[in-house]
Amino acid sequence: MGYAIRTDHLRKVYPGAKGGSAALEDLSLDIPDGRVYGVIGRNGAGKTTFLRIAATQLERSSGSATVLGHDVATEERAIRARIACVPQESRPLYFLNVEEVVYLYLKLRGLDPAESRTRTKDALDQLSLTEFRRRSVARLSGGLRRRVLCAMVLASDAEILFLDEPTTGLDPIARREVWEAIRRAIRERRTILLTTHYLDEAEALSTRLALFERGRLVLEGTPEDLRARVRFPYRVTIYGSVPRAELESYGRVSAIEGGSLVFAREAESRELARMALERGLRVSLGPVSLEDIFLEVVGKSIDDETPPPEVES
Amino acid sequence: MSERNRIRSLFTLVQLNGLIPIRTQPLYLVNLIASPLSFLFFIWIVSKGADLAYGVMGGMVLTMLSVGTGLQSDLTHYRHDLKFQDIVVASPVEAPVYVAGLALSELVYSLPALAVFGILFVYYGFATLTSSVVLIGALLLVWSFATAFAFTLSTYFQDVRETWMFSPIFSLVLTVLPPVYYPISYLPGWAQLAARFSPTTYAAELVQGAVGLQPLSFTSATFDWVVLGAFTAALFFIAAFKARWKDP
Repeated sequence: MGYAIRTDHLRKVYPGAKGGSAALEDLSLDIPDGRVYGVIGRNGAGKTTFLRIAATQLERSSGSATVLGHDVATEERAIRARIACVPQESRPLYFLNVEEVVYLYLKLRGLDPAESRTRTKDALDQLSLTEFRRRSVARLSGGLRRRVLCAMVLASDAEILFLDEPTTGLDPIARREVWEAIRRAIRERRTILLTTHYLDEAEALSTRLALFERGRLVLEGTPEDLRARVRFPYRVTIYGSVPRAELESYGRVSAIEGGSLVFAREAESRELARMALERGLRVSLGPVSLEDIFLEVVGKSIDDETPPPEVES
Repeated sequence: MSERNRIRSLFTLVQLNGLIPIRTQPLYLVNLIASPLSFLFFIWIVSKGADLAYGVMGGMVLTMLSVGTGLQSDLTHYRHDLKFQDIVVASPVEAPVYVAGLALSELVYSLPALAVFGILFVYYGFATLTSSVVLIGALLLVWSFATAFAFTLSTYFQDVRETWMFSPIFSLVLTVLPPVYYPISYLPGWAQLAARFSPTTYAAELVQGAVGLQPLSFTSATFDWVVLGAFTAALFFIAAFKARWKDP
């Protein structure tokens, strides 16, 4: 297995950042090729900073980063020939129609017109955009515009795709269509660096995940690795009344509507579930979700909008 | 990227930023012709037709400068509002191809204005081989330095609103104060000296001299070409080293 992206003590301080606070601090990471690598974190965690450095859009302050074996600081041209990116909050040019967005992007990258036509048609089909192909971007919903941008880069010949929150604003069906297109890209052995706020998306698509908080990498590995590294890898949901003090002897307890949620180790969770069943209570038992892991590691929900002080994303 | 692919990218940008927007909104074509024709009308009224030829020559210079102004707005809008520049940065397209493609696309918008002024140029009997060559050469240099200047500035602007603020200043300093629409001799001595800091002064002298509106010696013409060329080269140099293709 090769590595698509490697960083070593990568650091980024934005010019003019108060107190010289770093948006990215001491990031050492190896991202394997041919997979989806998910980067999760709250706003301001450093996800976009990392993605933009790797996509050669942003200078690093110190440390090193290589993409497909090329240094991001000195060999940008070699990298750019082999990557494509959907930036966060990007929008297609509003005076183009859907087909033109994809087709002209491919021609802009240097593909010949015939190949651009074929790839455009395939990409529009894959993302269920064919019926909109003649529609002006100006008349599309926000979600459809994001889908068009995804179609644009997925249609390209790039080996690495950088997708910065690509499904933000999409409805659940459209999100799944983008997921399917991403999975198809992986079957073509392409690498995708995906940043997302949606933990279900990160878990559904990513082979490995990195969790960023305040510019630092706090957890990295496969979803199973992440579960194994948290203190309480199982969650037990009990509907009914059990004294909190009793539950606390099994693990960490949170109150939920109509019952309690207990995070516990495997043995304790089984014992707790059996005890609850013996008392005639309704119980569910399973591994913790990525959201639970995030909450335990970071201490806040991923949707917590409080930005880290003086750090840009 | 091969030369063939660079050319394909270049013309794709012309299509993308020039031909298609005009197809969807033909009024864009009126935009670039409005200012030079307004000046021409004003000069015609004030001079009772006597200085109309200056208006024709000045109109061409202003049209080429307006390409730069338009480019500055488009580049800033694409960079900040649509993140299109980031999409292009992370692709095989190089910065000079991107800027040249968009600058060429802006030229498409200026075609009606150039056509009108070209007709007047011929109508007034200015069209000789020498005057045409000088005119085309001077206009190309104006277009080039306006492009380099626009690109450099656009990479420092944080919002497209800043370009709206800057465009009138750009026009004032480069087309109204310098003797683009009138002979430099109309200006008082101190203003003539100040006008020497504007590259458009040299372009105007060249085109006015080439069509016989002003006497221009071979030495003066050579000096004007050298200074105009040096301004253009300096702005390209600044663009190459100071424009932000990759964010700091």
